[in-house]
Amino acid sequence: MQVVGLTTPHEVYVASKERKFRINELVVIEDPYQGNLIGEVVESNSYNRFIPLSIGSGLHDADVIESLKHLGYSISEDEINIAKVKLLTEANFPIVTGCPVRLPAFDEVRGYLLKGKREDALLLGEIKNTEETAATMEDDLKGLCDMYSRGKLYKTQNVPFFLDLRSFQQYPHIGVFGGSGSGKSFGLRVIMEEIMKHRFPAIMLDPHYEMEFSESQENISETQDFSQYFKKFQIGEHIGVEFKHLSRKDLLALLSAVSPLTDAMSSAVEELHLHGDTYLSFSDRLELLSEALEKGRGKIEQALKQDLEPMEKDKYKKMKELLEKYQNIPLPSVQGITWRLRRLHNSGLFSHDIKPVKEAMMQGKLVVVQGPIWLLQVFSTYLLSNIYRQRREYKDGELQGQTAQEYFPPFIIATDEAHNFAPKGRDAATKGIITEIAQEGRKYGVFLVLATQRPTLLDETVTAQLNTKIIFRTVRASDIATISEETDIKVEEARRLPYLPSGDAFVSSPLFGRTVAIRVRYPYTRSPHTQNPLDEIQIHRVKSEDKLLEAIKPHLPIYAANFARAVEEINKTSGQQYEVRTLKDALETLVEKGKLKKQSSPLGDIYLESGI
Amino acid sequence: MLDLDISLKQRFEQVANEMRLRLKQRPSLDTLRNMISDKGIGTFAKCHRLGKKDLLRIVERGKIVGVDGSTNSSKGHFPYVITLQQAMAKPCSNDESAITITDALSPITMGNFSSEEEYREFVKRNLAGLEVKAAVAAIDEYSPKVILLDGSLVRYKIEAPPLWQKLKSLALAKNIILVGVVEGISTNLISQCLKDDLAEAIHHASDWEILFGLLDVGERLEIAQGLFKEGFRTFFMRSSIDPKPIGIDLLEEQQIYLNEVANLVYTLTPKDGRGIPLWLDIIDKSVRISDKVMEGLLSTYLGEDYVEFIRPKREKREF
Repeated sequence: MQVVGLTTPHEVYVASKERKFRINELVVIEDPYQGNLIGEVVESNSYNRFIPLSIGSGLHDADVIESLKHLGYSISEDEINIAKVKLLTEANFPIVTGCPVRLPAFDEVRGYLLKGKREDALLLGEIKNTEETAATMEDDLKGLCDMYSRGKLYKTQNVPFFLDLRSFQQYPHIGVFGGSGSGKSFGLRVIMEEIMKHRFPAIMLDPHYEMEFSESQENISETQDFSQYFKKFQIGEHIGVEFKHLSRKDLLALLSAVSPLTDAMSSAVEELHLHGDTYLSFSDRLELLSEALEKGRGKIEQALKQDLEPMEKDKYKKMKELLEKYQNIPLPSVQGITWRLRRLHNSGLFSHDIKPVKEAMMQGKLVVVQGPIWLLQVFSTYLLSNIYRQRREYKDGELQGQTAQEYFPPFIIATDEAHNFAPKGRDAATKGIITEIAQEGRKYGVFLVLATQRPTLLDETVTAQLNTKIIFRTVRASDIATISEETDIKVEEARRLPYLPSGDAFVSSPLFGRTVAIRVRYPYTRSPHTQNPLDEIQIHRVKSEDKLLEAIKPHLPIYAANFARAVEEINKTSGQQYEVRTLKDALETLVEKGKLKKQSSPLGDIYLESGI
Repeated sequence: MLDLDISLKQRFEQVANEMRLRLKQRPSLDTLRNMISDKGIGTFAKCHRLGKKDLLRIVERGKIVGVDGSTNSSKGHFPYVITLQQAMAKPCSNDESAITITDALSPITMGNFSSEEEYREFVKRNLAGLEVKAAVAAIDEYSPKVILLDGSLVRYKIEAPPLWQKLKSLALAKNIILVGVVEGISTNLISQCLKDDLAEAIHHASDWEILFGLLDVGERLEIAQGLFKEGFRTFFMRSSIDPKPIGIDLLEEQQIYLNEVANLVYTLTPKDGRGIPLWLDIIDKSVRISDKVMEGLLSTYLGEDYVEFIRPKREKREF
């Protein structure tokens, strides 16, 4: 390998006859005057001077080329490989043309490939095309993870890719971008597994109900049991909001998450919600006011003049008080607030609190919060504000020398579909808190991992704060444009984005100072719904057929005369609701599958066991 | 369109017409065919493309080696000329490297040339010698079965007699077939024999002129024994769709291989190409000394100042 052609201080062409170049490979250029320089292959071409790219040339005669092959010469082996190499750090002068180029030993490029200590890092996968360099690596860095490619599982042969957890203090937030099927979910899973390995407290918002870490992948060389390291909560089922602790701001956010509030409603809430309100006291007040507004002052006063039961009297008195106090609030606003509140209540949100979340986090666990996306938005607004505030208060207290504050650990917040939580150009309940954390979370040790397939739809302030970006295959031109703008990804790499195989990604991080091409490792665990819907249908069908077969076996042979009785008995034992017609259809299907035998007789069809 | 001088245009048209007339003097292709056969000048035959088996049978007996040479001279006034020569013998294989023999000459260092022509003649002979040397070295190195040389075998006999003798006897002793592949046919064997039957204008017509378009693709004309130079056999062949034939020389002693050689050359020639076996084209490309290399060497070893000294004025034309 040697440098050829016109050179510059930052870019050269390297040619080789023996070796094909691979994109993102690191090479050492041995410049006689400037010493060894490290460069990265950004473009790779092969050229065969005997097979020119011209029409009308006689060299494409396949017969002749084949004949030469039989004589022992393969024209395709006579090719020249040319790579465009960008220097990682600019040289002082243009590189000397003709100087030798070779692949680096690991120690020469260690600083470019590995950052920080291995014990403190997240092992995300391998750095692509580093096999030869990896061969000279110390043994305890070799084969650290399983890789999966083209249907095969194998130990990595490349240099491992680590993301230093310590560097989060400097570069706190990670963006994970990629279209569907790009391997983004796998990537997110790997990140979460690694975070769990370090027992770093984390919260994961999971609108897809897929973040489950207790099922191991099949056939992997090393299993990891994460069941003790994470805890899954469903909103309304296990966790919720303690109404009493809701600030007015939180309450407004919650209500508006159900459906946006009008100005009148917002000011109504501000007036109606009192400090120390429970769900019951607040909803009673709303309902009573609503009734009072419907009845009107006249009716209430009239009713009070009549002889009423003491409880009724009390109610009317209260209505009158409310009416006097809140005379400016229109009825529709009160009604609007009421139904929103009821919907929140019905979801179970107010029946629980977030204590279990905090407990799990204190234990260094990953908390997975599941729920439908609207509820997740509502809830996470409350949850994130709450725990972020707690962490901030602790940290601020520590700075001011007050040690009385209760300890709350630093933590990571992760979510998929992040563009729903911090959308560009429109408001969302969560946007405020996410933006706040993006901007000043670093100070308090609160970090974000935001995944989305639409980086263009993510709020720009948030995107700008994502220091490390992991970019999987992206096809949309607008998203590629956003990515190019927001990262140090090179033009050549941006062009490759639509073609990246699933699981391959570029990592753009200020820590590395360049874009690193990686392949994400195979996760230890798998998502609960990786079963193909087609398989699911087939399995279900076979199961139900077998079940039916079991149920009818005692009644075989079935024929016209005993059909009605058979239906009755089968329904009794199998718990199904067959009619004569539907059972007949089912039996026909079984005959078709060869599980039953059908015989014609003068008295009609007889269904027999297939073995007979 | 360029404004041409009227008289120049007329003169040009006249010359062009005469040129066209000369080709028209040629009898029809069928007549020519009959004349060639009847006069016993040669026999027409068909070549066949060899299959995998045939090729493997050749390889079993030995490799196929191609030999070619290249010359490049610096531009300058005699005797301020440097000539670079390179001959290459390359076996048809990916595993073995080629044999390259190089030489650099200049009338300055050799001192005994009275004229530029004399020097040119020497250069020509020297290249032939280098090519033969490469072929001899290839016999030792690769134990080939067939050696394809770029150019007529007769040329080697004339230009490098002692070396040629060595190559010939080696080839005969080891039963290695020497094949000369002639791109530009300059012989006029056919017109010589048909003198009485041809119009005067084409009495001295070259063989390629006579055979242009006459042969079918894959067809050859084997010139009868004794008509060609002593000690050699030759045949003309249309090895591709290009209507201009190529010539193939063999040693007289090896004429039994004529059919086999014809088929082999035909097999190795791209049918849409110019008619030269691909292997020789590949070697040609590898051996060629480009002007760039020449310039580079000159400025490196002679120095820019001396390059300036020998550079002729005509090289500095601006348009």
